[in-house]
Amino acid sequence: MLRWTVPLAVLVALAAPAAFPAFAASRSRTATASVTVAAIAKLSLSASALSFPDGDPDVVPAIPAAGGPVTITARVRTTPGAAVSLSVLATSDLRAGMAAIPASAVRWTSTGAGFVAGTMSATVAQAVGAWVGSGLRTGTQAYTLTNSWAYATGSYSTTFVYTLTAP
Amino acid sequence: MAHRVGRALCAAAATCALVLGASALASAQTLSLTLSRTTIPFASADPDTTPAITAPVLIVTYRVRGNPGNWVITLRASGDLSGGSATIPVSQVSWVATPSPPFGSGVMSATVAQTLASGSGNVDPSRTGQVTFVLANSWDYSVGTYTALFTFTLTAP
Repeated sequence: MLRWTVPLAVLVALAAPAAFPAFAASRSRTATASVTVAAIAKLSLSASALSFPDGDPDVVPAIPAAGGPVTITARVRTTPGAAVSLSVLATSDLRAGMAAIPASAVRWTSTGAGFVAGTMSATVAQAVGAWVGSGLRTGTQAYTLTNSWAYATGSYSTTFVYTLTAP
Repeated sequence: MAHRVGRALCAAAATCALVLGASALASAQTLSLTLSRTTIPFASADPDTTPAITAPVLIVTYRVRGNPGNWVITLRASGDLSGGSATIPVSQVSWVATPSPPFGSGVMSATVAQTLASGSGNVDPSRTGQVTFVLANSWDYSVGTYTALFTFTLTAP
């Protein structure tokens, strides 16, 4: 009996480290990691002014804005699945003293996911972009002014107000 | 206790010998592990101005006695940081720790325990390490409060 037991015990002991790793002693402690994410929205434009140079309406029926497209960066943190929108509204038609060019003479095309083309309005905010949820979105707006022989000479101006909205 | 277990299992002679050995080894080792805090808070911050959010330093105190081999302190997350239907991948959390060695830096995982510190032999009296967790900030995170459980485990094989 003794001669049978001892060899078997030796064989198993040699295999023990691999076969029974649970023999290791251990101590565990836990800590709860928590992250607070608050709502925030930021909007930036690459330019604070647009200008449309004068041009012959026959030669340049649509005047591109000098300086090229405006780059828009919209940063939002909101709740999951929330609708995020960016709109623009002209404070008035383009005015030069008593003369005016309708804001609707200004149009834009867009690049960038979620950004859309549109026509300016001085009465109803127009969509510039729409997204879902948090994120950083970048796009461009290339403005043009519809040229016309009907415009009186002068230097016209107005203000475009961009609004980024998220719940 | 070990003697009683051994006798009970002696019908299978080989297993009996193993259990006795393991019991004796485990009882000889004394491991101690404590944390200075039970929370690792990351405050909300603007990702543009704070691309990486740092949590307050956590101090790990550990002691290993009666250890003939190596020891290791590992870290593992219970899952991604969860806040309702939204999650933040726990891999966005990394840490730096001192002194190095035995401590090292790393990235949290919910699937594989990551090594926080390692060494060999005994650590007596106890020693400490300072661990600073960092969350990579992002505009993609949804509004909410997210949590995950981080488990620190000291093991001496």
